[in-house]
Amino acid sequence: MSRANVIALLIFGAILGYFLSFGPESTRKFKAGVYQLLAPFLSRGSGLQKQITSVRTGLKSLEQMERENANLQVENRALRATNQALRDVEHEVNRMRHALNYRERSVFKLIAAEVITRDSSTWWRTVTINRGKRDGVEPDTPVVTDEGLIGKTTSVSDSISVVLLISDENCKLAASVEGSREQGIVSGERVTAGLNPSLDLNFLSKQADLKPGKKVYTSGMGGVFPSGLLIGAVKSFRIRELDGQAQLTPAVDLSHLEDVFVVTGRK
Amino acid sequence: MIFFLLLLVLVVIAQIAEFFIPVLPWLYDAHVYIVPVIVFYGAMALPFPLMLALALCAGLLLDALTVQVIGGKVEISAGSSILLYGVLAGLMHGLRPLFARGHWEVHCILSGVGTSLIVLTQYLMIAFRRGSPIFTREVWWQIGGPGLIAMALAPIVFLFLQWMARMTGYSYVLERGRFE
Repeated sequence: MSRANVIALLIFGAILGYFLSFGPESTRKFKAGVYQLLAPFLSRGSGLQKQITSVRTGLKSLEQMERENANLQVENRALRATNQALRDVEHEVNRMRHALNYRERSVFKLIAAEVITRDSSTWWRTVTINRGKRDGVEPDTPVVTDEGLIGKTTSVSDSISVVLLISDENCKLAASVEGSREQGIVSGERVTAGLNPSLDLNFLSKQADLKPGKKVYTSGMGGVFPSGLLIGAVKSFRIRELDGQAQLTPAVDLSHLEDVFVVTGRK
Repeated sequence: MIFFLLLLVLVVIAQIAEFFIPVLPWLYDAHVYIVPVIVFYGAMALPFPLMLALALCAGLLLDALTVQVIGGKVEISAGSSILLYGVLAGLMHGLRPLFARGHWEVHCILSGVGTSLIVLTQYLMIAFRRGSPIFTREVWWQIGGPGLIAMALAPIVFLFLQWMARMTGYSYVLERGRFE
């Protein structure tokens, strides 16, 4: 091995050792720093992705129109394109109005945010939102939509935050079932095939016998999530050796997240 | 050096692009990973010190963008991906003579195997930390799927990088004599 290679290997080893010695706080800072560096690219990429999706949708409708009417005139096509663009705007306005209404109705203090990317790794269920420390977001802050809870922030940089979804096995939250005294811990599943996974509500009593459709809310224990946030509805219930377990359908469609709110406290 | 810098930029771009590439529902939601293929190409085309530098940068990015700190605990410590990339790229680097002789097929297959190994190692680390390694059909597909995709992508990526190497005047073929 040449001298240059040995020196390179030593430097590599030293840098590796430095990073391996990181504790949770240093890791969080390092992660937040890198996200902050990449924030402009991630935001721009998100915008680009939306434009591409919009163009693709437009192309699809053109294909359909061609099938329906082979003699479609150019003027008609232009009008339809304009119509499509207006529909996009209308959808956007409706979405914003809906979000604004929810923020005004809610008993929580909320910061509106937009999802810019989904998880890029296989084993963690996360999304990235365009709000960070600058906007008052802190780590371990609940994130919701008007339909219910979606997760909590983990790494927060100046203008961007990573949200761990409730479908992640590691996002554990204390929950209670409506109309009963049953309480348990909700967590996601490690591996799911399908965009909308189930949640598990563990540590219920064996006598719980929860009926499908019962709503499950955060109980407020543990300190991270305030009580009263809708998590999901019971899908099935089974008795295990030591406890009862319910499978839940999340209240929010976690595969189509666009506008979310970071809960910063109660009003 | 220009080619090395280009590879670095490509690694960053590919890492960002991975955020926007949707999972493949027909392959049990397998993710598409491009960065390992670029790093493995770099491992064969670059000299040892630059190969290590590329593995270091790719590992750092992967750690920063994937590792989660939850409840004051780190599931996979920062640096583990650097080590992983370093070891795998080092193994690929050892097969340079074959690559220089134009036998790419082995490296395309190994790129897929390496990609799956990265995902498998990540899974093993979190599984042992969470206390229960579970291996279901979904788990195997989510580990093997990215490898299969990487294998399929490798020839295209390699051809593109080969073209870029030519454009920048970089040629590992200059060192061919050393291997023969």
